[in-house]
Amino acid sequence: MNLSNFSMDTVALPGDLAGKLDAVKKAGFSQIMLWAKDLANYPGGFAAAVELVTTSGLKVTGLQVIRDYEGLEGSQHDCKVDLAKATLKMCRAINAPLLIVCSTTVDLPADSATKMAQDLRKLANLAVPQGVRIGYKAVPWGSVTRSNEDAWEMVMAVDHANFSLVIDSFHLMANQTELDSLEEIDPQKIALLQLADFSATEIRTPRDKRDTSIHMRVFPGEGVHSSELAAILRRLERIGYRGDIGFLVFNDDYHQLPQEDVLEHARRSAKWVTDQVLRRSLPLRMTAKRSVA
Amino acid sequence: MTENNSDVLSRSDNPLGLEGVEFVEYATAQPEGLGKTLELMGFAYIARHRSRRVFLYRQGTMTIVVNADHEMLNGTDLQGDSVTLSGIAFRVADASSAYRHMVDLGAWPIPTRAGAMELNIPGVHGVGDSVIYLVDRHRDFSIFDVDFVFDTQVSSQPPALAGMHFFGLVQYVGAGRMEEWIDFYDQLLGFTPLPQGESFGILTRGSLLKSPCNQFYLQLFGPPEDVSYDIEWDESLARLGIGTPDVHAAVAQLQARGVTFEEGGLIKVTDKGALTRMFPGKVHFELVASRIGAAS
Repeated sequence: MNLSNFSMDTVALPGDLAGKLDAVKKAGFSQIMLWAKDLANYPGGFAAAVELVTTSGLKVTGLQVIRDYEGLEGSQHDCKVDLAKATLKMCRAINAPLLIVCSTTVDLPADSATKMAQDLRKLANLAVPQGVRIGYKAVPWGSVTRSNEDAWEMVMAVDHANFSLVIDSFHLMANQTELDSLEEIDPQKIALLQLADFSATEIRTPRDKRDTSIHMRVFPGEGVHSSELAAILRRLERIGYRGDIGFLVFNDDYHQLPQEDVLEHARRSAKWVTDQVLRRSLPLRMTAKRSVA
Repeated sequence: MTENNSDVLSRSDNPLGLEGVEFVEYATAQPEGLGKTLELMGFAYIARHRSRRVFLYRQGTMTIVVNADHEMLNGTDLQGDSVTLSGIAFRVADASSAYRHMVDLGAWPIPTRAGAMELNIPGVHGVGDSVIYLVDRHRDFSIFDVDFVFDTQVSSQPPALAGMHFFGLVQYVGAGRMEEWIDFYDQLLGFTPLPQGESFGILTRGSLLKSPCNQFYLQLFGPPEDVSYDIEWDESLARLGIGTPDVHAAVAQLQARGVTFEEGGLIKVTDKGALTRMFPGKVHFELVASRIGAAS
């Protein structure tokens, strides 16, 4: 099975950075999505964490995550920019080509859209010399940007080549998004597809969405929405998306299992995805390695 | 800021009031070697910094800063005779306003390098380890008057060979990063891409961006698409492009000084341009047929 464009997100895995890197590699994955806290919390310190990542042999898909960034004023904005710059430096240190930004949950004035786009454009510019692309995703409990359609509108408003969309299948399903809306999206502007299913049959309130999203996701093919997930995959395939697929599976239960068992779920899930979209099993075109001084 | 400058700054297509290039900076631990190269290329040594290992070379309208300052070198991995293109200083209407504008739009400020009583030149990070400086003191007096001691034995305004002038910089960009850099230079500096098919010089691959003052170009190019996947391709400034109204005259004068040019395959001296062979430190220069800035 070709796992080369599947990325394992460390959020599903128990243990520390060293154990996660080792287990993901042993499971046959070549890509890993890291969280800034994986690096910051490493007992050996940040420099040792960077060394571990850069010598792991794994390609870093990207780094999670910046939250509540856009739309703030004055010193709050300055503070968020400083945090973003520190995170961009972390990306550069580990050769992460993508930094994911979740839509803000901060209450903002009604006319904040222009300021939000301006702030995100600034982030896109900050990321260019670092060799990092910004991926923006809507969270359903966001204050302004809540849906994939909202996030795509923001990507178009920002209008910067270094600013793209991240699609989270869980949020599409939780929001009951019409898949026809995906047809509007330029596939070249999708930085990443994050996949997960969930075990609840229905999610009603924003709070339910958030709780399910960050505690009760399951790997694709193992939830109760397989047919919807397959439809999302096929639709994105149809519009021409050929990029990476990340398994973003927040689930407290997995943190009580050995890493190898969780990764066996991930391998089965990759097989399930490949079965839905056969192209995924074909060898990939080789591309030049990015290397930034 | 003068009234004239204010008018320039307010133009939406030239948000910083760009008015050409004040200097280009190289960094090296062995400034003597680079100095010899620059002298072969027609530049004359004219001044050195009062307290740092920083030297000025000039010909015509072009000023080159050779930075061998120990403090600066400590922050780089430059060793031996290696040389890097480390910065470019744009003339702007108001350096302070231009700096704030760029930082507001997402440029990374650089820490000030000025010492006591030294002139602080605002700057932001460019590609790789390079710096984009912003200079507004280029009319009534020069930024160099403050910190540099000029050699009284030589002219501080040596003439240019064959009308040579700054034309542009060539930059490597990572695979798939062309559009990102185009937006970066467009939004922060107001550079705009030339239409497809419009090109200068003999090395025309990639994208060519024109400054809003029409006096300077940036050429961006990425790794060839057909190379093996493990090629190393660091994003950095690659070389300086020097314009001349008569490429053959410039080549003849430079050859007479000992400069050699690439003469094989697609890269050879033509009416459009020429490429010097590599000098020590892996430095080379590109000549480009151009009248831009020749009269300034």
